[in-house]
Amino acid sequence: MTIVDSLIALMAVIGTLIVAFAVSVWLPGIERKFVHARIQQRIGPPLSSPGLMSPIKFFFKEIINPNSPMPGLYNALPFIGIIISVLLLLIIMPQMYFFATFASVIALVGLLKVEEILYMFMGSLSKSVLSINMPFPDVVKGAKHPNVPRSFFEELSSMRAFRLIALGSFPIYIAIFVPVAMAGSIFLSDIVAYQQLHGPVLFTIGGILGAIVFFVGFMILMNEYPFAILKTKADVIEGPLLEYASKYRAYVYISRGLLIFVLSSIFATLFLGLPPNLLSWTILINIIVALAFTIIMAIVSAFSPVFTYKQFFPVVAGVSVLGVLAIIASFL
Amino acid sequence: MSLKSYSRARAVHVMLVYTGGCNGCDIEIVNCVLSPKFDIEQYKIFLTWNPREADVLVVTGPVTKHNKEPLKAIYEAIPEPKAVIAAGACALMGGVYKNIHGDIPSEEICGPVDEIIPVDAKVPGCAVRPEDVLAGAVAALPLLLEAM
Amino acid sequence: MDNDNKITDETRNEQEIETEVPMGTVHSAALEPYRIRLFVEDEIVRDAEMTIGVNHRGIERIMEGLPVEKANSLTEKICGICSNSHIWNSVLVAEKALEIEVPERALYIRIIMEELERLHSHMLYLAHGNEVLGHETFSMRLFYIRETVMELLRMIGGNRVQYGVPVIGGIRPRADLNEMRIQRLTEGMDFVEEKITDFAERFVADPMIMSRITGVGVISKEDALRLSATGPTLRATGVAVDLRRDMKEYDPFEFDVITQDDGDVKSNLLMRVLEIPESIKIIRQAIKALPEGPITNRSWEMQDVTITKSYIEVPRGKLYHSYSLDEGRVRNVIVRTPSITNIGAMEHACIGNHITDAQLAIVQCDPCFTCTDRAIQIIQL
Repeated sequence: MTIVDSLIALMAVIGTLIVAFAVSVWLPGIERKFVHARIQQRIGPPLSSPGLMSPIKFFFKEIINPNSPMPGLYNALPFIGIIISVLLLLIIMPQMYFFATFASVIALVGLLKVEEILYMFMGSLSKSVLSINMPFPDVVKGAKHPNVPRSFFEELSSMRAFRLIALGSFPIYIAIFVPVAMAGSIFLSDIVAYQQLHGPVLFTIGGILGAIVFFVGFMILMNEYPFAILKTKADVIEGPLLEYASKYRAYVYISRGLLIFVLSSIFATLFLGLPPNLLSWTILINIIVALAFTIIMAIVSAFSPVFTYKQFFPVVAGVSVLGVLAIIASFL
Repeated sequence: MSLKSYSRARAVHVMLVYTGGCNGCDIEIVNCVLSPKFDIEQYKIFLTWNPREADVLVVTGPVTKHNKEPLKAIYEAIPEPKAVIAAGACALMGGVYKNIHGDIPSEEICGPVDEIIPVDAKVPGCAVRPEDVLAGAVAALPLLLEAM
Repeated sequence: MDNDNKITDETRNEQEIETEVPMGTVHSAALEPYRIRLFVEDEIVRDAEMTIGVNHRGIERIMEGLPVEKANSLTEKICGICSNSHIWNSVLVAEKALEIEVPERALYIRIIMEELERLHSHMLYLAHGNEVLGHETFSMRLFYIRETVMELLRMIGGNRVQYGVPVIGGIRPRADLNEMRIQRLTEGMDFVEEKITDFAERFVADPMIMSRITGVGVISKEDALRLSATGPTLRATGVAVDLRRDMKEYDPFEFDVITQDDGDVKSNLLMRVLEIPESIKIIRQAIKALPEGPITNRSWEMQDVTITKSYIEVPRGKLYHSYSLDEGRVRNVIVRTPSITNIGAMEHACIGNHITDAQLAIVQCDPCFTCTDRAIQIIQL
């Protein structure tokens, strides 16, 4: 590879990242304005407000010390989330396939796991004013169980994040292995090459089932309704994100939009054989997939209540079984 | 208009705190958030329940004794710049609960709101009309925009 | 139903409870300030304690010694959701004590106001229930339907929340119904009935919602009676108690007392959905048979009377007002609202459920703590 080629590749990588970022800030606005507001028969916010203007506004707010035993680590977590999203995007770009060992499905799974673990840390580090810290005389003479240890409701979120890691994220990992089973390789370059030869995985029976499973896993990973057990308004309000303020909350906003784009790009890579690449027209398809994921997710979330474990586990189990069927179908 | 002011005008997060009114104002404010007829989001105002996310605090009710400290705690949790809207007759001057005795001080009411925390915009009414709440939120905007 | 994992006073044991999760006074699932301490074991609520008194404003003490007309209008400020019920019952006490004849037309218009209030209260309840379920869309649909009722209330009373329609001896002249108002009422009722039927069909057919609310927050018939639950909360457990059946104001009207069997969140929500058409039915009958004549009886004289009591059925259950009159001023005021007797049922309904369902179990009893808190004395401990 000459220096010119490497320079072009570098430019393409940076350009793709910029495109990903530019698209991802509009996705929350599309979700809120074009889907939720349309379904709820109201006008809704301007397109730029939820995804673009909110983070910018939070950058201009006062930086405060969060109520947390380790404020530095707690504030660093959303930025780590963004870095992981960027790494995920880098791995699936064709220019990076020469790092053969990293550009594999194993690396994808590992990074997604780290993304989930962040919520556990956030939940155990956040000590919001809305729970125990509220100055209210509730443990008084005659109160029930005065000596029981008290916990913040973020700790509930932390426990739920742990269960998500243990169980809830099965669907997305099973779905990731459907194209692997078809291509017979864990390397992304082989999966993409296989699909260029044989056509996209999505247009096979195993692929369709896998895509459905992937989508459910995507919604669980995004913590969207109905799978929003980490941030149910009925008990934990915002759960692990409660203490983020100013620019750290901006990172939370940005990382959410970016994660939608990244996960939909992973879908496009694994199921359509089209990795995000600025040098090819197929980046348009990546953007369309991201839009489609946002819109379908918003439609589902607008029409569903939040699940508790009683509904959550059967759904995850059922979808996982579907995923196993997809893998079996892809071997046939 | 600088980017700072522009972004602040395009995304305002509002938090509601009820401090023991009669529920009338509370429900009218919830109404202007959740009812498609008023739909507060079209004015770029978003509802949040987290003080760390909020810019504007909407307070209703005459601030009863037990609500004084929680109200202060929530006000202090909001990062600068912030604005406070007192909505309803009780929040403005204690309403019937504080003033019906004449000069005898009320034992139960610590309010009105501006004796506990600084108030930037006042929305009158018993109960407030949703339209007035929207107008009040807009009246508090310049404060946010011009703050550092 | 499934009462095995519920803790009673006898079996309560400190060892079984792992942690306590306090919530409030500001919380996204609560429309009003209150504090709840949930005692959980692996996210299952084992015990619950509700601390109210956050809203205490001492209304009964304020009312002491006020002229009776002034005191009546003050009762409206007890609660913004069922304000008409309070002023109506307070006026009824005075009318009963002073033996005042109320014109027929005024009685009918009071019934119309009360039923309109029941409509808006039940729709608010359903909207709040859906919000706690996490279903924003249904919540907004219900607020959209409720808006029609709010406009009708404003048309009659002049204000969206506190209308002040009943006065001693009749109703306020402003609240009289003319042709145009009757026309709008009729249209409004048609609209609400159509929309609520549509909503009910979709609500019952939604499998996700049904799976969330079936068998959650169960209050059995025995428990409901033991804990003195009242109103729709009691009716949802299968006890057909409706004070409207015994009130002479409701004698001219045909309506059914709705009951449900299970006492869970589903029963409670469907209870309200089914009560809305009954209220519409009463309003239609009242409009049709609205008698002509005066709306106020001004020929009454103030006298001193001993404590007089009155009970009425309000959207949340049984409401009690009593006071005596001394030189035209009220003394010994006691107000007992339905929510205070439902608190036992609320705490009981939480137990044995997942913590996300606990708030739902509280909401199913239609709590109104602004009503409730006025009666409690704050005692320094």
